[in-house]
Amino acid sequence: MDKNKSPLKVALHGMDGRSYKMMAMYLQGPCKGVAVVVNQGNEDIDIFDVDGVNGGSLIAEHLTKNTQKPVIVLSLNERIIENVLMVKKPVKIDDMLGALSKAKSLLQRPAQQIKKQDVVGNKVNDSDQIADEKPVLKKFVLDTDEQKKTSKHQAAMQLDEKGFGAFIGNVAGLDVNDPKQFFRASYNPKEYFQGYVESAFKVCHAKGQVRQLNSGWNPLIIFPNSHEIWLDVDENQLRSFSGLSINATLGSKMSITPLSQDSSTADRTLERFQSMDAFLWKTACWASKGRYPASIDIRQPVYLKQWPNFTRLLVTPHALRISALLIQGPRTLANVAEVLNIKPQYVFVFISSACALGLAGQVKREADVLVELPEIKPNKNQGLLSRILSTLRGKKA
Amino acid sequence: MSQYKIIFTGPVGAGKTTAINSISDVPPVKTDASASDMTKSRKSSTTVAMDYGIMNLAGGEKLHLYGTPGQERFDFMWDILVTGGIGLVLLLDNTRGDPFQDMKFFLDTFEKFIVDTTVAIGVTQMDLSSKPTIDDYHIQLKAMGLKPPVFAIDARVKSDVSLLVQALLYSLDPGLEG
Repeated sequence: MDKNKSPLKVALHGMDGRSYKMMAMYLQGPCKGVAVVVNQGNEDIDIFDVDGVNGGSLIAEHLTKNTQKPVIVLSLNERIIENVLMVKKPVKIDDMLGALSKAKSLLQRPAQQIKKQDVVGNKVNDSDQIADEKPVLKKFVLDTDEQKKTSKHQAAMQLDEKGFGAFIGNVAGLDVNDPKQFFRASYNPKEYFQGYVESAFKVCHAKGQVRQLNSGWNPLIIFPNSHEIWLDVDENQLRSFSGLSINATLGSKMSITPLSQDSSTADRTLERFQSMDAFLWKTACWASKGRYPASIDIRQPVYLKQWPNFTRLLVTPHALRISALLIQGPRTLANVAEVLNIKPQYVFVFISSACALGLAGQVKREADVLVELPEIKPNKNQGLLSRILSTLRGKKA
Repeated sequence: MSQYKIIFTGPVGAGKTTAINSISDVPPVKTDASASDMTKSRKSSTTVAMDYGIMNLAGGEKLHLYGTPGQERFDFMWDILVTGGIGLVLLLDNTRGDPFQDMKFFLDTFEKFIVDTTVAIGVTQMDLSSKPTIDDYHIQLKAMGLKPPVFAIDARVKSDVSLLVQALLYSLDPGLEG
């Protein structure tokens, strides 16, 4: 029988649902599918997490059964338990592969009892052999660093109307909410950091290459394949920089350079990684200051291609409502503000970010502006739905 | 008296129980049991009847939150659960073998309910598996003629679940003022 097609069958004990799933994927991904999780009773090997609530009692009970199956114990401490293979937590790939390899060799000698307690702290000799086996069950590679990219995966900030002005800023001498000033309430993204970031993203995607945007400020590292950026500055610094018109002053210093292989793979603080979308979205918010991009004709309707992934983006006031309305069909920015009875600045800032991500566009066809815009019909449960919204936002209306 | 409810559905392990727990005002009634079939390969216990939580609204009204059992052998309950529902929250586990197949299965199963109301989709476990991306989901949905909100969510985080439900409600009526 081809051993490459025979992953070890393991049963997991003493783990909660998330740990169970994590370990199952860990075996599939980083451990290259050398073991697969099966129902209890069908396993070759038992793996116990003894640090859980019932872990200690489960392993104690298991050992009284005098089973011949190898046992691997995961523990934060190097416990001395007779006849088991120990893997110290946090589990390292080499340690786990070593323990699985050892367990496999024990299985191939069924007549022999597991006599020797073995602490797997270093590489076990035959771990290479098992690691080199062809992956069988691998469906995806679990990147254990991914979970540590907290900025990338954490819930986004939600702005209300009260905090909008202070956080987003404004332009002196311009009232973006005055319809008479709409025609000059636009901004050119190319004059701001936003424009350089957009341009750099396009280059990186086109080349499929990790590159660095040099601006005379902190360098921005762009990873197009994972759709991430890395920038070692805090949020307040980024907000200030994004709000400056830098084209005249720093434009000549802007450059984008490829990174060497060593620099591309260098260790970086994981908390400083962000998704490209979330980064560009907020950069556009801060450049906009409540204005709309100059590429938008204020007289023509705009459309939304898809809902933005709001849980991972800066949520500006009424952004969900604006999305829900625009996803139904194209409207002018002024009409959106009128229908929703909100200040135009909230529509303008939303459309600035949505355009930056390529989620919004401008209607070009005459047919799209030929017919009157459909009225939005109030839901028959509008009162109830509003009360649910109030509760969700923590306002007990 | 009318009973207002939102339905949470999705495959085994997608986070339905956790999501309801995140926004319920009372400890949810859970009907988890030790998994005894194929579900066991993914989690040690699973919901065999349904989950139930409550959001207390102003004026003494209650919004009922129902989670469908994840195992398909309980799908006879789904029609009963959705009757009178306001909308559907579909949770998908990004670590599963084919989350698009899961999505299609649940969208097809609840098609009539979605046509009558609306749906919002939350993709869980993206910190464990970043592919497929949210854009990939939209491409699949576009081919099905749908444009629902699709958000990456951590079912344990109240603000994530809250935003998803808010998007569901605004999809029903963008004119809502909460």
